[in-house]
Formats: sequence, C-alpha cells, structure tokens
Amino acid sequence: MSSESHKATFEQLVRPHFDRLYRLAFRLTGRKAEAEDLFQELLIKAFGKLDDLVAIDEPGSWLSRVMYNLFIDEQRRFARRRMHVVDEGFLSGEGLAGFAGTEDPERDQQRLEKMKQLDAALQKLSDDHRIIVLLHDTEGYKLDEIHGLMNIPVGTVKSRLHRARARLREILSENGTFS
Amino acid sequence: MQKQDINQQDQEILELLKDYPMTEASAGYYDQALARATHEGTRRQRNRWIMTGFGSAIAAGVVLWLLGGFFLTAPDVPAPKANIPGVAMTLEEPRTVNLVFASANALDDATLTVTLPDGIELAGFPGQREISWQTSLVEGKNYLPLELIALTPTGGEVLARLEHDNRGRTFRLRVNVS
Repeated sequence: MSSESHKATFEQLVRPHFDRLYRLAFRLTGRKAEAEDLFQELLIKAFGKLDDLVAIDEPGSWLSRVMYNLFIDEQRRFARRRMHVVDEGFLSGEGLAGFAGTEDPERDQQRLEKMKQLDAALQKLSDDHRIIVLLHDTEGYKLDEIHGLMNIPVGTVKSRLHRARARLREILSENGTFS
Repeated sequence: MQKQDINQQDQEILELLKDYPMTEASAGYYDQALARATHEGTRRQRNRWIMTGFGSAIAAGVVLWLLGGFFLTAPDVPAPKANIPGVAMTLEEPRTVNLVFASANALDDATLTVTLPDGIELAGFPGQREISWQTSLVEGKNYLPLELIALTPTGGEVLARLEHDNRGRTFRLRVNVS
C-alpha cells in the first residue's frame, strides 16, 4: 500500500468517529487545549497501528479505549505536576459560552449559577467518578460502553455512578444550591 | 432529608448534567490533527525502520550521519540476537538493564520515552505502558538503568526513544522471559 493510500484508508476509518472522540477527550480532560492534545496523540498512535485498525470490527470502540488509556498514562506521568494546576473550573472562560439560554433571562441566570455549582462539584469528585458520571449522564454512554472503555466490571460502573451522583447531591446540598 | 426531596434533587442534577456544556474543537482542527498524525506517524515509522536491523556499531554511525552531532549507541545489553539486543529475564524477578546512550554533545531537555510490551513493567511504574522523562545528556556515555519486571511469560520488545529538538531515535530491546 502506498503512503497516500495508507493515509486515505486511515482517514476513512477514523473520520466518522471524530466528533465522538473529541467529546470523549473533552469529558476526560475538561479543557479544550488538553482535549485537542489528547485527540492528536490518539491519531498519531492510531496511524502507527493502521494494520490493527483495518482488521478491527468496531474501530470507534477501539479508538475510544486507546484514547482512555492514553489519558490514564498521561495522568500518571504528570500526576505530581497536575496537583499544582490552578484551581479553575472546567467551565471557566469560553466553556460557559456553550451554555444554552432560553427566553427567560431570570431562569437562565439561576440555571447558570447552578451549572457553575455543578461544575465546581464535579471537580471535587475523583477522576473515576467524574468521568463515569459525565460519560453516562452527559454523553449518554451505556454502562456496557463504559465497562468496555475503562475495563472495569459493569457492576463496578453502576456502583461508582451511584456513588458519584450521591456525592454530587451531597456537595450541592452542602453549598446551598438546592436550598 | 425526605426521599421525595432526594429524588427531586437527583432529577435536577441529571437535567443539569444533560446540559453540561463543552467547548467545540477549533474550526479546521480535525483536518489539521489528521494531517499532523499522518505526517508524524510516517516519520516515527521511518525512524523505527532505520534503527531496526542495524548492529550497535553500525547504528552509531548511521545515527551520527542522520542527526549530525547527536549519535546514540544501542543499549548496552548481552549479545544481540538477529541484530536486536536481547535480555533474558525470569518471571516476576526484577532485573536491571543498563541502557547506554553515547552522545557527541551535551544535550539539554531531551525526552526519553520507554514503551513496554504487555506483561513487562518498570519498577515504580505499575501498569504503565509508556513512561517519559525530561533529561539532559552529557557528552560521551550516558547510562540509564531500567529495573524491569516480567509479570507474564510472554516477553516482547521494550522500545526506548530519545528525542531532542524534533529529532529522535528509537532503540529496541528484546526481552525473553523464562
């Protein structure tokens, strides 16, 4: 296969999954710049494994798993540095621009405040809990898909999801979001 | 707290989560990422092929020619088999392998990335397949001791990639486990 042919085959296999993969990258990292880096690293890695990719029935699932593993490796590698990352919300700055408004400004403002509280609460969860709740409740992943991605039993996914939601409720109750 | 209150709060949290926003990728980002991936992937593949099949003495010369002043010898391990250096390990018994990188010049801010096959771990980095360090090389020989542990009898190849200033070399080390 020629180099151009390799590239064309690669693009054909990966492009249909770009949106879902980018969303996954964003939910894992919480920041656009890091999501783009992770997405890029995935594509570089996947291109190096084109022979494997061609033979896979569900390249989307495979790519998601590789991305998750890259994210975990990166987390471990820079664990010490990440502890000193500035304490900013995932939605700080441009992220809030993505919050859809309605025709009721007062309601929008209340909802925006709650969304900020939710954002802060999500940061207080462990990585596992945050990722599971975002993938399941925000992105609509099925339990089985999360099991395949994170390589943990479905029962564990369910219990972590349950605990993550309970912890969110606890944090949001404590800070008066539901008062 | 009443169960009804809890249910209502859970429902509200779920609704907020459904709308939890995200930032879209920049316009044209996907195309750029794709182009970079195929370019970088091709470059890495080419580098790997260049290193494969050369004995340590030949490799040092080839790399010197390619990188101009930045040459690397193959890992300092027992006699190579089929031109790839190899090391024998016993299952679950740590063994330290010394990699030797000889550089013509001192190099600051080089990145060394060690990629491990399934079943081989680096002591202190359980479960990690790829570990990177920022490092500096002195002129002459630079030793990197790696304490490897074989968790399965499969064995495989350990890749050590040294990168500096957008140039790099990958070394392969065959690990046989008994």
